[in-house]
Amino acid sequence: MEEIAHQLAPILEQITGYIYPNEIELHWRILIVVYPYITGLVAGAFILASLVKVFNVREVQPTYRLSLLTALAFLIVAPLPLLAHIGHPEKSLEIFLTPNFSSAMAMFGFIYAWYLMAVLLLEIWFDYRRDLIIWAKNEKGLMKWIHRIFTLFSTDTSERAVRFDKRSIKAITIVGIPSAFLLHGYVGFIFGSVKANPWWSSVLMPIVFLFSAIVSGIALVLLIYMVVTLVRGKEINMACLDKLAGYLFYTMIIDFSLEALDFIHRLYESEESIEILSQLISGRLFVSLIVIQLLLGMILPLAGLSSVKLFRVPAELRRHIYFVSALLVQVGIFTTRWNVVIGGQLFSKSFRGLTAYKMSLGGVEGLLVSLGFLILPFIVLYILVKIFPPWQEAKQP
Amino acid sequence: MKDISFLAKWAKKFWKKVPDQVVRLSIPILILIIGFIVMRNLLVPSDFGKYGHFRAAAIDELVSQEIQYSEHEMCFECHDDVVKAKNMSYHRGVECEVCHGPAAAHIEDPEGNQLPAPRERGYCPLCHEYLPSRPTGFPQIVSESHNPFRACVSCHDAHDPKPPTVPKECEACHAEIARTKALSHHVYISCIRCHKTPKEHNIRPRAHRPEKPSTREFCGECHDEKAPSAKGVPRVNMETHGERYVCWQCHYPHLPEAH
Repeated sequence: MEEIAHQLAPILEQITGYIYPNEIELHWRILIVVYPYITGLVAGAFILASLVKVFNVREVQPTYRLSLLTALAFLIVAPLPLLAHIGHPEKSLEIFLTPNFSSAMAMFGFIYAWYLMAVLLLEIWFDYRRDLIIWAKNEKGLMKWIHRIFTLFSTDTSERAVRFDKRSIKAITIVGIPSAFLLHGYVGFIFGSVKANPWWSSVLMPIVFLFSAIVSGIALVLLIYMVVTLVRGKEINMACLDKLAGYLFYTMIIDFSLEALDFIHRLYESEESIEILSQLISGRLFVSLIVIQLLLGMILPLAGLSSVKLFRVPAELRRHIYFVSALLVQVGIFTTRWNVVIGGQLFSKSFRGLTAYKMSLGGVEGLLVSLGFLILPFIVLYILVKIFPPWQEAKQP
Repeated sequence: MKDISFLAKWAKKFWKKVPDQVVRLSIPILILIIGFIVMRNLLVPSDFGKYGHFRAAAIDELVSQEIQYSEHEMCFECHDDVVKAKNMSYHRGVECEVCHGPAAAHIEDPEGNQLPAPRERGYCPLCHEYLPSRPTGFPQIVSESHNPFRACVSCHDAHDPKPPTVPKECEACHAEIARTKALSHHVYISCIRCHKTPKEHNIRPRAHRPEKPSTREFCGECHDEKAPSAKGVPRVNMETHGERYVCWQCHYPHLPEAH
């Protein structure tokens, strides 16, 4: 009891107005911020990859396999923050065994499994199959066996087989785009369907989540592509980078318009919650929403990217602008998730008071564990890249 | 015979046309599907989902639990006078077993299983301790200052509880004092015991003021060492204790516990 009082004391000092006792402490904390952020990166990276296959955008071909592996690495890590938050990971199997169709949360397992197995793994398998067979032929030891197992001991590299691979990839991508929309739209739906919470309850929520996901995914692949090419000492393909930055710019404009639409809609509707929400925005969320999300994460990168479009900017400077913009976008999208998840719990359902969130450093729900979950996908990606090199030159002619 | 060989030939031809990838992928997919079905059969209880999203046997498990509580009507069979009084009182919404505990065993064997009646002070404040979220008008006390060390039942009848009454004619103007006094040790001392009040005070309060005790001996009637008052009343030596002052210059008689 004393320990709880000790934990609550600093929060109690920051409470303003009237709030209910069960609203003092936030229940969804930093781990639930990390979860939609990571899922968003998966959906975004996949949609970028599908541009190559469905819309035949040749320029971004160098990032096709990289974005697929990025999506896979982040997808593997995506449910871990949830498992850590809920506890008892051994019980997670139950949502598959006894599916509850009336619960959106319980359906997550199926959406996740569908996306992982029916979309991402299949597409990667079909795309890499021929290369894996050829690599395995020229390799020795452990790597040969790893590659052989991943091809499911397939040896057929005939033209007919490769043609079937290509056709399958196209079909999977076409199924994959709505699946990616489903995966992240679902995360937005979870928040948007909480009708008791005016900060979340919005039909636009899944769409806003989706477009911010695409923005963050493209920015992430752009960042990884730049860093990895630099580390490998190769030349950056400027046509590819320009195209990526172009897509980033356009999706950001859509994302910005949607968020502005949501904001104006709320303002015009002026429901009874508007007072407390304006207090929230001008007080508790001012730095994270106005300064970081809007100015640093949206307007500054938009200005940077549009300056590249408007003026003739030398390649070296363009690279710098792209890098900084993509980095700012990542910070911006992370704070978007923060503002949704944390912001939605900072005000009382009585609409009369505000509480505060004090993040702990250690513990399962602490900063260090969350940082771990944010770093883990890069470690997974490193391993994946080692097993399945995504580079153009590794591709067998 | 001819037909069968034709079918086999056709199947062979069809099988050859199925791409190698599909054949290979179908193996892990089949393993997954079969694994899922086997797991479902092994791990999900057979009666799951019969009535809803839960095990049907869970209901039987709950039903088979030993019954601890009886019904309100059962108490009436023997304790009709108490139940009748309680049903007319402020506690009419409070079941007997809320205070006396589960009574199923008592009904089976009334002599062998006597029910307890809470006499310790911690029990009644579960509902009556002051809490800002309790509804206005609900009787509440601060147990630290409300007759500490005395059992609630020594003053209150739990079967017919009555909040202490303040003379209506005083409460109208002096409600704050009345409420303070209601929480204090002096709760049962009426206002006029200390304040000699002329009748006209009710009509023209400022022209005819009530008196205050003017002598130390007045408080000494209860608080002197030799006073014939009850045992728990705090006592002082009136000759040495604050001799130059009237008691209420230091003590607040409406809440004497206050410092």
